[in-house]
Amino acid sequence: MPEIQYYDLRHVTGQVTHIDIDNGVVESAGTSFFNKAVIRVLSTTGWGVLQIDNFTPCSGKKFESLLDTACRLARITEEPVVLGDVPRGVLSVPPMREDPRDVSIEEKSSLLSEIEQAAIHPLVVNRRANFIEKIENVLFNDSSENEYSYEMCRSGFNVMAVASRNGNVQMGYEREHSIHGFNLRHQERLGKKSAEIAVALLDAGAAKAGKMRAVLDPELAGVFAHEAVGHASEGDLVNEGNSVLKGKTGQKIGNDNVTIVDDPGIHEFGFDPVDAEGVAVCRTEIIRKGVFNAFLHNRETLSSLGNGVAGHARAMPGEPPLVRMSNTFIEAGDSTEQEIFEECKNGIFLKGSRGGQVDPGRGIFQFNAEYGYLVKNGECTTMVRDVSLSGEILSTLHKIILCGNDRTMSPGYCGKGGQSVPVSDGAPHLLLYDAVVGGSGVD
Amino acid sequence: MAWIDQLLREAEKIVDETEVYFVQGNSVSAELKQKKVNLATASEDYGLGIRTIHKGRIGSSSTNNPDQWRECLAAAVASGKLATPQEWKGLPEPANLPGALLTFDSSLKIEPNVVIDLIEKMLDGAGKHPADVAAGSASLSSAVVTLANSRGIRYSNKYTSVSLSLEAIQGHSTGYEFDHSCFLDKVDPASVGQKATFFATESNNGKEIATGEYDVLLSPLAYGELLGNVFIPALSGRNVHAGRSRLAQSLGKPVTGPHITMYDDPLLKMANGSVRWDAEGTPTRKVDFIKEGILENFAYDLKTAYRFGKTSTASAIRGGFGGLPSIGHHNFIVDGKRDEVADERVMYVHNIVGAHTANPMSGDFSVELSNAFWMMGGEFETPIRSAMLSGNVFDLHQTVSGLSKESRAIGSMILPSVRIDKQRIIGN
Repeated sequence: MPEIQYYDLRHVTGQVTHIDIDNGVVESAGTSFFNKAVIRVLSTTGWGVLQIDNFTPCSGKKFESLLDTACRLARITEEPVVLGDVPRGVLSVPPMREDPRDVSIEEKSSLLSEIEQAAIHPLVVNRRANFIEKIENVLFNDSSENEYSYEMCRSGFNVMAVASRNGNVQMGYEREHSIHGFNLRHQERLGKKSAEIAVALLDAGAAKAGKMRAVLDPELAGVFAHEAVGHASEGDLVNEGNSVLKGKTGQKIGNDNVTIVDDPGIHEFGFDPVDAEGVAVCRTEIIRKGVFNAFLHNRETLSSLGNGVAGHARAMPGEPPLVRMSNTFIEAGDSTEQEIFEECKNGIFLKGSRGGQVDPGRGIFQFNAEYGYLVKNGECTTMVRDVSLSGEILSTLHKIILCGNDRTMSPGYCGKGGQSVPVSDGAPHLLLYDAVVGGSGVD
Repeated sequence: MAWIDQLLREAEKIVDETEVYFVQGNSVSAELKQKKVNLATASEDYGLGIRTIHKGRIGSSSTNNPDQWRECLAAAVASGKLATPQEWKGLPEPANLPGALLTFDSSLKIEPNVVIDLIEKMLDGAGKHPADVAAGSASLSSAVVTLANSRGIRYSNKYTSVSLSLEAIQGHSTGYEFDHSCFLDKVDPASVGQKATFFATESNNGKEIATGEYDVLLSPLAYGELLGNVFIPALSGRNVHAGRSRLAQSLGKPVTGPHITMYDDPLLKMANGSVRWDAEGTPTRKVDFIKEGILENFAYDLKTAYRFGKTSTASAIRGGFGGLPSIGHHNFIVDGKRDEVADERVMYVHNIVGAHTANPMSGDFSVELSNAFWMMGGEFETPIRSAMLSGNVFDLHQTVSGLSKESRAIGSMILPSVRIDKQRIIGN
């Protein structure tokens, strides 16, 4: 039997409450429960991992037998792993302004309905609003006698309006998700906004593709930080040779005005009081003033790769931790929004995000704005729909000419290895030159 | 499982109808970091989903602790009180269905040594080309699904699953390949490894191309991304009646070129999604969505069918353990006249990046190409470095000029390569 070098247990129990309203009909609403654990054992040859649904905490012989099972499983591994030394500590979870558990589901449903009703408009053919509230109770302990527990509650809503006219179908989509407590009150404006955007998009033309100057709003610029830089700086991908940022430490890969950070410790949607390996979280400057500075790590990649900071291991309940982002952002610069549009002069303004994807090994990213406006003589003019941005990580960072002074963060979820975790992305307004903009419009 | 009968008896006292969906499964998998197995995982999975229907109000809850069924039932009943009541004509009654299992490999052992054998074969295949292995995985799983309802249904089904994937890299050129099946002898690990390193190797030193219109051949993988993210959701009855489908007004009308047929065949032999009853217990049957270009049907589950005066097409599926039913498909097949699609010069696109960012309402998309090549006479010629493909998923189905002779399973879809003329490519 190979020797157990290390083990840890992460047990998450909790409940999810959801409400789904579709065109005035409460489609479903209610609460579900989960109980999931993951036990990781590091043997002399590698990791053996047990994922257990409906776990009952145990000790003594019963727990030892689980460790033994995981250790036997690890017999098929063949790569000895060294874990880096790391700081410990747990941040306190910020208090919620209003605990969603104190609000009845009937009241939640009624508040969500008000948001959905606010999207009523003669051209809107479908309105849909969802509320989700997830409470996780996390228990962690390991063979080094580290132990922590915390409770996190994340809640929020999405509202979507679909407008239709003569076979043209467009949508507007707004969302608010938070770790700061119940946020369904007084949000009708977002329902209204989703309808206004969907209706306005009926008259928007398709964007014309090509290289041009582009202004990115903070939400889309945040996705850019996440997709174009964040993923490629994840230590596991770098270790596999699957990132264009491998070997770039200390090299200038972007303009002086570009500083990109991941910080699990700030009170945004990706907040983690402690990471999924029991490591204290802290701010990591991935790029500092255009120079590649640090990778995001877990204990294993910290030890094997170096040049970075651990505390970036995250996991869905019952899943083994992966190196992940949490709150990723481009630091604010000193340009005003007006200066950015004046400097852009003629180009395109991209607003909101429909998500993105990256191939970090190839260094290619793609993401889509919710909509945009043509910029003419420094002014936003015609609205355009279905506009995307793609490019190469290593050349695009040199193309950021101006960073605004107005950073804001947006909540979202990020997928990797079949796991989805809450994150936030943010940035100030950015101006890019030679941005590769996609769209189906033609001259 | 006596507790399921007990649950149904308890529920009978408080609601009109009850449905229990219980999944119990296990899996073993291994992950490669470069060429070495770094992590081995075993899992035990449980999922219990309960639906209650009372005076047209549908309630639901789930848990992965079956011992907690009383709390789960109470939560489902409470949830039903909030739901808007709707027309409801009852859960299905038991049907006399054949018992033979469609997706269960009785010879498959869910054991680490089987996983390692697959990994070794994948790595052998990968060795055929110089690109490096970056990561990969092999996983085996088995599950038993039980569906019971207050009308007397007590169905049980077993299934197995084998899945493989490999990522390769050479320079800044990447390659990805995967395979999956319910049957161990239907996956080809050596081919997965060989194709991943082939694409990474062959895509290296790609050439720039100019912006313009080109004839494009989308591989089943690339086509599946666009189909699954945009086209298939537009066939869901729920989206149709909610005003979220561009195809809503097109029943009986041509929506694709005349050579294209799309259908769901839940009883196809050896196919991964085959099943005799859907996630609500409705006996499955073939559903013709598009016949020679004409839109014939949308997909329905019971809830949507009852609400809009339609009939369930047995299209209810459940996502994951303990998930609730929603409208989907079992084996979604794109078929039609098959041709040699790569005889004449064409831009072959193996994969695309960012299909999920397409506009699901209008169908407009722009995606980055991955592993794109000039192809002639069926042979790969020059690799294309990077380019963007822009268009509309619905409109491009009007300009399909050929379907390849071979089809491939991509998840629960079975798709050919699709040749589309004059697509807009944004180059450099």
